[in-house]
Amino acid sequence: MQIKIQQLTKIYKEKRGLLPIDLEVEEGELIALIGHNGAGKSTLLKLLTGWLIPDRGQVFVDGINLKNRLAVVRKIGFVPETPNLFDFFTVGYNLRLFARLFQVPFQRIEEILKAFNLLPFRNNKIQVLSKGLKQRVSIGRSLLADPPVLLFDEPTSGIDFDMTKEIYRLLTEFHRSGKTIIFTSHRPEEIKTLATRIIVLHQGCLVFDGSPQTYFQSEIHEKLYQ
Amino acid sequence: MIKNIIILTLNDLAISFKNKSIFLILFIPFFVYVSLMLVDEAGVDIQKTRIGLIQSEPYAPVILDAVQSADTLFSVLWVPDEEEGKKQVKEKKIDGLLLRSEKEKTGLVLVVLKKESVLSLSIVEGFSALQKAVEGHNMNWISDIQPLQEGGIQQQTLPTWILMLALLVSFIIMPAQIAEEKEKKILLALLQTPMREIEWLTAKLFLGMILISIAVLFLHLMGGFDFGNALTYFAFIGVGSFCFSSYGIFLGFLCRNQASARTLGVIFYLPHLLPSALSDFSQKLSTVAPFLPSYPFFESVKSILLDHNGIATLIPAWIYLFFVGVLTFFMAYRLMKKRWLM
Repeated sequence: MQIKIQQLTKIYKEKRGLLPIDLEVEEGELIALIGHNGAGKSTLLKLLTGWLIPDRGQVFVDGINLKNRLAVVRKIGFVPETPNLFDFFTVGYNLRLFARLFQVPFQRIEEILKAFNLLPFRNNKIQVLSKGLKQRVSIGRSLLADPPVLLFDEPTSGIDFDMTKEIYRLLTEFHRSGKTIIFTSHRPEEIKTLATRIIVLHQGCLVFDGSPQTYFQSEIHEKLYQ
Repeated sequence: MIKNIIILTLNDLAISFKNKSIFLILFIPFFVYVSLMLVDEAGVDIQKTRIGLIQSEPYAPVILDAVQSADTLFSVLWVPDEEEGKKQVKEKKIDGLLLRSEKEKTGLVLVVLKKESVLSLSIVEGFSALQKAVEGHNMNWISDIQPLQEGGIQQQTLPTWILMLALLVSFIIMPAQIAEEKEKKILLALLQTPMREIEWLTAKLFLGMILISIAVLFLHLMGGFDFGNALTYFAFIGVGSFCFSSYGIFLGFLCRNQASARTLGVIFYLPHLLPSALSDFSQKLSTVAPFLPSYPFFESVKSILLDHNGIATLIPAWIYLFFVGVLTFFMAYRLMKKRWLM
């Protein structure tokens, strides 16, 4: 298996967060992580990327403990809900900066710009781009080091229909290329279209883990979207 | 319309509470009040002027008696020789040193830190009044004033501007920039690369040091000021910028957003600037100021630029600044490792 989560726990001051969770993710899975707001979805993703430090528990990626950040940093790419880019700089500058930090050749930037249809925007400052375009730059940045695992926190939130379709296409393409993908979502059609496995969190607990067919026939789905 | 204005005003007030700007409004009057309490008061509890006299110097008996009897105005401290007396003036242990004038037999030379200071003026005025009371005429006993710090008023104020620039970069610019990277989650994006935490912190430290150095250099070039003992001066600008930049980074880590960082910055900026910069004007402030790291920096820069002192006498101050820099850098590193308020 590619990701192994053992007793992972993170409790915030407001008593919300993530209660001890055990989970295993196989290579090439496309997992939808769903649940109400405050269920712990984003917390789980942030723990997997090292944005948050867990209170307890461990995560292993390809057998390497996540605590060893420098060893796993090239294995996981994370796209947050709000793109976190240097707004005052151009698309090209942002990608070059991260390419330098990832120590990947600049040729990779050209590949990313081309693959994400960002070539016309390479000299545009991030602050003038639409949210959809910013999200594409953010996804492109997360792929600079070509990580085998990609995490998306509500990738289509606040994005128009055309851009949403484009992001679905990209996710499907990444999945076909063998990458493991975990994304959070509130949209049933998105989950139905993309996911090969569904994990439901409720108040920090894992309440469902199974295939989309089982999920859409279960009571949990009805309760979640009642 | 009025209802909306009220709603929006209340909302703006709530925001100022939330981003802690309101604390500035409360803090600044409080700080001014405390500073005014520390500044020596005029009137009954006036601080006596501390006059140094040299043990072996044959002062005119009439002057000696007058100075010693005016114990509400002066407190007399005996020093073994001129060199020790000047040292004590520099260390602010005494306010002025009286020497016999070589030009005029009955005259005195007053040795002070700065010729144009309020303190020097008050000593001269005090002696003038004393002499008038004793001898009834107004021929000054003090025939000459010898300042220990040279240079015009521009050079005299230079250390204050340098301190102000260093603190401005460290407490206003640096915390806001750190907090911005935290607030916009840019720092977390950088932490998803093979970059080490210490590398990011060191880069921020260099940024602060470079900004302070450029500001100081620019100030010297614009004003045409010399660097005094250049090597010692650069050593102090280096360690001072290191100390305050680290301090600023640490403050940035204590804040979740830019608004909080700006507020916290000002809260630290004023208490570090004013007691040090005003310590020359108040004995009370000069006893409080040494507890702040800005004071050894300010005093050292002043000593280098105005007295042309070398590193030898300033080593404890250099070590102190370095220690504060290392300590705050380490604390910032710990907060970063804990992903504090990220």
